[in-house]
Amino acid sequence: MMNNKKSKKIKHVSLIVVPLLFCFIMCVGIAGVLAPQLPKLIPIVNMFMSDKQVDYSTGYENIFVPTTSSGDTVNAEDVEFPRIDKQFGELSIKGRKVSAKLFFGDGAVPLRNGVGVYAGSFIPGYGKTVLIAGHNNTYFNGLKNVKKNDIVEINTSYGNYQYEITTTKILSADDSSAYDLTKKEENLVMYTCYPFDELGLTEKRFFVYAKKISGPEIVGLYE
Amino acid sequence: MKKVFCVLASFVLIAFSCVEAFAAGINSGEQSVLKQMNTPANMQGNLVYVPASYVNQAEAHFNTIDMTKKQADEINSLISQGRSFLESTGKKSVSELTGAEKKKLLQYASAAAGVLNLTAVGGSDTSRVKIIGKDGEVIIDDSGSVIKTTGRTTTSASFDFDIIVTVAGIIAIISMGAITIIKTRNLVLNDE
Repeated sequence: MMNNKKSKKIKHVSLIVVPLLFCFIMCVGIAGVLAPQLPKLIPIVNMFMSDKQVDYSTGYENIFVPTTSSGDTVNAEDVEFPRIDKQFGELSIKGRKVSAKLFFGDGAVPLRNGVGVYAGSFIPGYGKTVLIAGHNNTYFNGLKNVKKNDIVEINTSYGNYQYEITTTKILSADDSSAYDLTKKEENLVMYTCYPFDELGLTEKRFFVYAKKISGPEIVGLYE
Repeated sequence: MKKVFCVLASFVLIAFSCVEAFAAGINSGEQSVLKQMNTPANMQGNLVYVPASYVNQAEAHFNTIDMTKKQADEINSLISQGRSFLESTGKKSVSELTGAEKKKLLQYASAAAGVLNLTAVGGSDTSRVKIIGKDGEVIIDDSGSVIKTTGRTTTSASFDFDIIVTVAGIIAIISMGAITIIKTRNLVLNDE
């Protein structure tokens, strides 16, 4: 009789203890499994919960007309300086799966349709820093394949340029030493989010640095 | 007569439409504005410069317009007044300015942009300024960082394999747990 009562009590207690224990194990288990993925999942949630208006438009103006001219200089008067969100060229790295339309500006429209020159930097041929951004899952995914001495080709309506890759670096997104916007020597800096196959937003960027080896210098800029 | 008028009208239209095409290069007025922008404000011995990204964006815009000498003089005067105001605040940096002081500074920027029929818009704390054209085109934008977010977007994402595995793992654990509970409950109830 006593044993039966004790057994019933244990069974009733188990009805409360087992679910509680299950919840505890589940919480610990899920936290354990999710912990390594949290840096990925938080930005994904942010993408869906963002209060910023997303621009899904794909319309843009194209002023790029391929040219075969191969002079050492081009007069500023013959250059149509691009405005923001306009396509003004093409960028490619042969054998590295990098081929994209080149825009001026690096907002939503340029990065959805190609790669974009930061408006606070300069266009090729200007003799200063050319800072180009591209998404890591689309047009700049191929940057993971680049090697030193690879040639970056940039074609614009006013001339065709070649840059030789000198180095690559993985740096924090807010590391201002990654670029120099005051440099008086033509240099190309391309970057994309790192790691390459990460979903969502990342804190690091993969930078590719290159020096100009050919292409017309824009002259007569300062009248 | 009609033909002559049409030809003249065509020439006028072509001339107007070509203004931007011939605006390439930085004329002397535009150069003086860039020089003025590059002159630092001395805030209690602290030299404060306009960010290079901002000056470069202005230069990019000047390559697409043709600023007159009068416009350049007006802009230079307003930049100079803005710098004098900044120096007179007695603060050591822009971040130390009060809301009212930042608004006053924005007024100088707005007036300078207005000379070129542009509009200066301050951020929520008015410490960052965006200059836009009549049609809403962004001319200068200092409200974002130089290095942009270039990760995957929802519009082009193909979900990672490891995330799919994680989600599948969680579902499997929950299912197994649920089955265990059901079985335990059934055993208890059957015993009763």
